[in-house]
Amino acid sequence: MTTLDMFVELVRDELGLPVTRQNVGSALEDIPGWDSIHMLALLMVLERETSQRLSLPEMLDADSLQSIYEMAVGR
Amino acid sequence: MASAAAHRLLDLHRDGRLAAEYPAVRGLLTEHSQPELVTAGRLLARLDPDEVLRLHPAVPSPRIAVRGHGTLAAVLPALVGELARHGILGRPMPGDFDSYVFDLADPGSDLYASGADLTLCLLDPHVVLDELPSPWQPPDVGRVLDEKLAVLERIAATFDAAGAGTLVLTTIPLPPDLLGQLIAHRSRARVGVLWREANARLLRLADAYPSVVVLDLDPLLAEGIPLVDPRQSVYAKAHLSAELLARVAREVGHLVRHLLGRGRKCLVVDLDETVWGGVLGEDGIAGIEVADSHRGEAFRAFQRLLRQIGSQGVLLAAVSKNDSEQVRAALREHPRLTVREEDFVRVSANWRPKSENLADLARDLNIGVDSLVFVDDSDCECGLVRHALPDVAVVRLDDEPALHVRALLRDSWFETREVTGDDLARPERYRKELARGEFLDSFSSIQDYLDQLEVRVVLAGAEARDVARVSQLTLRTNQFNMTTCRLTPAEVEAWRDDAAGHVVTVHSGDRFGDNGLVGVLFLRREDEVLRIENFLLSCRVFARGIEHACLAAVLRRAGEAGVREVRGFYRPSARNGKVADLYPAFGFLPAGDEPEVTEFRHDLAVLPAPPAHIEVSERFELGGVALRAASPATTTAMAMATATTTAATTVTATAATTQSGGNRA
Repeated sequence: MTTLDMFVELVRDELGLPVTRQNVGSALEDIPGWDSIHMLALLMVLERETSQRLSLPEMLDADSLQSIYEMAVGR
Repeated sequence: MASAAAHRLLDLHRDGRLAAEYPAVRGLLTEHSQPELVTAGRLLARLDPDEVLRLHPAVPSPRIAVRGHGTLAAVLPALVGELARHGILGRPMPGDFDSYVFDLADPGSDLYASGADLTLCLLDPHVVLDELPSPWQPPDVGRVLDEKLAVLERIAATFDAAGAGTLVLTTIPLPPDLLGQLIAHRSRARVGVLWREANARLLRLADAYPSVVVLDLDPLLAEGIPLVDPRQSVYAKAHLSAELLARVAREVGHLVRHLLGRGRKCLVVDLDETVWGGVLGEDGIAGIEVADSHRGEAFRAFQRLLRQIGSQGVLLAAVSKNDSEQVRAALREHPRLTVREEDFVRVSANWRPKSENLADLARDLNIGVDSLVFVDDSDCECGLVRHALPDVAVVRLDDEPALHVRALLRDSWFETREVTGDDLARPERYRKELARGEFLDSFSSIQDYLDQLEVRVVLAGAEARDVARVSQLTLRTNQFNMTTCRLTPAEVEAWRDDAAGHVVTVHSGDRFGDNGLVGVLFLRREDEVLRIENFLLSCRVFARGIEHACLAAVLRRAGEAGVREVRGFYRPSARNGKVADLYPAFGFLPAGDEPEVTEFRHDLAVLPAPPAHIEVSERFELGGVALRAASPATTTAMAMATATTTAATTVTATAATTQSGGNRA
């Protein structure tokens, strides 16, 4: 997973959420079907995909999927 | 790399066709790896269950309430995925965070009002850790455990009394970082004792309350699954790892499968490289690996497992591409083989496709192919069976025999709440059933055969000792099950306790032996109306007129007890089409169709005569009138005449005996 497009596809295919390039920067609560229960699953998926340990406290405080993506790829 | 099946499922998700193609999901999931299954569960959990049910109304869709101490989010999609593996549309219903005591201890809570079919209560070590003082001593652990167990015992009693389905509690695992906080070995041992005593108390709840199942997490953790991910525990209050929650979901899937009557009944094994090492046709009887050698010991462990499973009422059969005589000789004569010919109800050694042998076996045992589990080490054979008979559960073994045992146990195919006396006698009974088939072949007509079979039937009110078997019949019987109403032992007890309800058991036997408790009638008396709420009969006694004898007796006894009308009900299921016309065949008239249930009424004006070839004994009551009667079937006296009999009548069976003796001569 090296691009935002790949991240969007990953969220769609792993969590089943209807995320697009258009709404990936939206507030989490504006993503259709988003629930805080998805956060832990997303963290595990991202750690698997990037083969590195991510900061759970930072992710839990994230306000959009795009900011989670940026944390995961180290930007 | 993802499997082809996982790709196919993902394509269905991407195309928005998962709901439409839901019946295909089960087959795809059989080929998913464990990580793939976790993802699949998340995708399936996004489906709207109502939409799936609208498209596929026959899919069972139990509601599963989930309660516990910490964050349990990961268990919800895992439950959906695991149940989908069994063709079940799980509808998990989470509660508020840490609400288990509030919800479960109060019979007026929303949980009890929700009508969940099963309630899963997940307990984690923080149930205890959160209440320890700082610093703490071993007696503090004992005190908190005592308090928690008192609450859990109260919860179990409340749940059981409420009759709210099945409650699954987990044991509380001893966490990795607790004992290490004590520096004295003696203190560590003391806490170890206290912790395990508490879990033993928890496990005992399953004995005390029929509606409670306690899932022991220790053996699951011993498979190498982590109890906790420390980061998720600290930051998100998820005190049980996602892997463990997925493993628990698998166990719950097995239990729900059993509660829905979808458990398996017959285990069919390949022989070469499955039961023994090597190829019998090439290596010969002396050359196969059955014990003593490295690989031989691995196969011996698997043979012992087969006998162990068979000893609890599961039917064993073998299907092998081999020479029949050589297989028989190996099973009879090999001095070190643990399984023997007599352990199997059938050994099919031939060169036909295995799917044909499996279909024949199911037909001859009168069970569905969906009652079979097929085990083989050959990818090719497994694939052929999956393709030809998608309802057969296929367990693919690999070329490492040391892993055979776990591969077979992994899905707990034959799980049941309790093994009954009837289970223990089952394999012998099915062997006799196959003998009956051969006996039948020697007669020119079915009636000649029935006249010689010496069938006897006893109808009796259910006793406490019958409850487990009656529940099991409701769970296992699919074909002759008028309304397919599944009942737990606690629900059967409730039927027995109900003054208006009558649970009448059907025992049968014949010249080949006793069939045991083979059927049940659930009757309800409402003034002058008797409702046959359900009637079911084990498939192993079909086609002998036993249902005829039962209905003739119930109708006659109803008239004697002052009933003016008997009502019967038929609710169609995927499997019970053969009994759709049962009631009309015995003089019932259709009386209105509810959307899902057809109702029939009998006015008792003209009663069906009992079948001539069956000797019936009756020991049951219908609303206060107790009768005892033995009515030899040969007394084909008009039922109305005997309806006036109110005192105990004992007619010896001489007539029946004489008649069948005469026929033999």
